[in-house]
Amino acid sequence: MSKIKFSSKRYWALTRGGIMEGLSFRTSYFITIIGNFLYLIVIYFLWKAIYASSPSKTVGGMTFYDTLIYLVLAAALFNLMNSFLIFEMGRDIQSGKIILNLLKPMDFQVYMFFQKSGGFVISFLMTFLPTFLLVYFFTKGSIDLGVNLLYFIISIFIAMVINYCIDLFVGTIALYTHSIWGINIMKEVVVLLLSGATVPLAFFPETLRTVVNYLPFQAIYNTPLHILTDSTLVTKNYFWLLGLQLMWAIIMIAFSRCFWKFSQKVITVNGG
Amino acid sequence: MDTCIIFASIQPKGNGEKLKPIIQIENISKEFKVLNRREGLKGTICDLFSKDYRVLRAVNNITMDIQPGEIVGYLGPNGAGKSTTIKMMTGVLEPTSGKILVNGRIPYKNRTKNAENIGVVFGQRTQLWWALPAIESFRILKDIYCIDDITYKNNLEYFDALVGSSELSHKTVRQMSLGQRTLCDILAAFLHNPSVVFLDEPTIGLDVSMKGKIRELIKTLNKEKNTTVILTTHDMGDVDALCKRIVIIDKGNMIYDNTIENLRTYFGAYRTIKLMFSKEANGYSKDGLDQIATDLKDVLRTNFIKAVSLTVTVEDEWIVLLINEDEVSMMQVINCVQEYKKIIDMKLEEISTESVIKKIYEGEIG
Repeated sequence: MSKIKFSSKRYWALTRGGIMEGLSFRTSYFITIIGNFLYLIVIYFLWKAIYASSPSKTVGGMTFYDTLIYLVLAAALFNLMNSFLIFEMGRDIQSGKIILNLLKPMDFQVYMFFQKSGGFVISFLMTFLPTFLLVYFFTKGSIDLGVNLLYFIISIFIAMVINYCIDLFVGTIALYTHSIWGINIMKEVVVLLLSGATVPLAFFPETLRTVVNYLPFQAIYNTPLHILTDSTLVTKNYFWLLGLQLMWAIIMIAFSRCFWKFSQKVITVNGG
Repeated sequence: MDTCIIFASIQPKGNGEKLKPIIQIENISKEFKVLNRREGLKGTICDLFSKDYRVLRAVNNITMDIQPGEIVGYLGPNGAGKSTTIKMMTGVLEPTSGKILVNGRIPYKNRTKNAENIGVVFGQRTQLWWALPAIESFRILKDIYCIDDITYKNNLEYFDALVGSSELSHKTVRQMSLGQRTLCDILAAFLHNPSVVFLDEPTIGLDVSMKGKIRELIKTLNKEKNTTVILTTHDMGDVDALCKRIVIIDKGNMIYDNTIENLRTYFGAYRTIKLMFSKEANGYSKDGLDQIATDLKDVLRTNFIKAVSLTVTVEDEWIVLLINEDEVSMMQVINCVQEYKKIIDMKLEEISTESVIKKIYEGEIG
C-alpha cells in the first residue's frame, strides 16, 4: 500500500494536465483575443463619446486612455479568471459525477483549484498577454512598465484565489438547489459590477464606493488594475494594497471552506 | 410482503482461522428527506414554499462482512439502495445509523484517507481527463496517489500484458469508444494497488466481446493482486463469470447473502422446459406465440392448482416453462402440454442465475 506523503508533485501534475488540456482547445483562445479586440473597439467609441461630452480632460480622476486600459484589461482578467468552476460543479452535482472528484485522496477544494490552475496558466499566456500587448500598442505606451508589473502579477494571483473561493462558495449552493444557472448569472452581474470590472470604481458615487471598498469584490479587478495603471503609487502603497488583498483572500478561503464543510453533510449525490 | 430471508453464516471454508474482514458493516441505515412533490404547474409553484417532507429509508439495517480478496456481487433491482450503500462505503455519504469500517477506518470521517486505499469505477462516468490521452490521466493519478516509479511501471506493463493497453492508452479519451474508456477507467482504478475496488455497473452498455474482456480483466486483477471487489450489476453474465458470493437487497432490505451455488440449490427444484410447436422458422408470429403462451398458462393453471410458481414466457421461437418440481412433476406438465398441442422439439435446462434473481426481485420466493 502506497503511503501518501505531502508532495508538491501532485499539484504540479494537475497543473500540467490542465495546461495540456488547455492547449488542445487552442482555437477558442484566438476567438477570445478577437473578442477582446472587438470589445476594445466598442468601449473606445463609447468612452470617447463620454469624454467628449465632459468639460475637462479627466473624469473621476482618470484620463480617456486610463479608462480604456482599465476596462479592456478588466475584460481580459475576466477571461483569465473565469474557470467555469460553478458551471462545472453544478453539472457534476446534477449528474452525480462529483463523486469521482470527492474520492480523490486530496482535499476537494485544493484538488479542484489545481485542476483548474493549468487553465489559468494557459489563458494568461494565450489571451491575457496578447490582449495586454494589444492595449499597450493601441494606447501608444500609456501603461508604465516597471516594478508595478511585478506587483501586478502577484496581485493577479491573489485575485485569482479570491475569485476561485467566491466561485466555490456559489458552486456549493448547487448542493442545495441542484441547479446553478440562475445563481451563476446573478453572481456574475454582482461581481462584475461591484469589483469595478464594468465601470471603474473611480466613477462610482462616493457612498457606493465606500460600501464597495468594504467588500471582497474590488480586490479581484480593481486592486490589480489600480496597481498596474496608477503611476503615482510608491512601495508603501503597493504593500498596503497587496496586504488588503491578501486579507480578503484569507477571509474568503476560510469562508468557502467552512461553507463547504458544513454543506458536505447534505450531499446526496444524485444518480442511482 | 412476506419475503423469506435466506441468511447463512458465511465463514471462509478450509482455513480454520477466520480472516479479519476488510469491510465491516453493522446495522447501517440511511434515510433521506424528500419533498412531497405535487402535480402540475400550480403544485410545482407551491412546492417552492413547501416544508412537507417525508423520510425515505433507502437502506435499512444492513449487516455484512467482506473478506479480503472476495468478489462480492451486490445485486438488487433499480432503486434498491445499492448505490447508496456503495456511497456509504466510500465515505461520500454518512449513514443515518450503524457502523461501517473499511480497512479499519470509518469512511465518512476519513474520506480522503480512505480514498487512498480504494478504487472506484462508475459505469458511464469517467475519471479520465477528457481531452488528453489516457496515459496522461494515469500519470496524473501516479502523482496524486504518490505511486512510486517501480510500482507504476510494473502495473502498466502488467496491464499491457493483460489487455494490450499501451496502444490504447495513447488515444485521446474523447475519441475512445465506451468500451475502451471503461477498460481504461478500470485500469485507472487499479493503478494504485487499492485494497478494495468498487465497480458500479462496469459493463453497462458494452458489447459482448468487450464485456468478456472486462470480466476477464477484473477476475485476473482480483486474483493476482488479491484486491477485494464489490460489483454491482444488472447483467447476470457478470455475476456468473465473477462472483462466488452475492448479496441481494431490495427496497433497502438485505434479502440474500450467500454463495451463488447455494442460491441455485435453493432453487434446485426448479426446471426450465423449452418447447417448440412448429418447425418452420416463422411458423408462428410473435403475437401467435404470445397467444399460445397465455392459453397454455391457463390450461396448466387449471390442471395444476398447486403449481403457483409456474411461469410461461416466450423466448425467440421457444415457449419457456419454469416449474418447481416440489409443486408439480415435470412429466405431468409435459403430458398435459402434449395433450394440449403437439410438441415438435423440447429442451430441458436447469434454472439460470438470471431467472433465480428475477424470481427473488419479484418476491416470488418462499
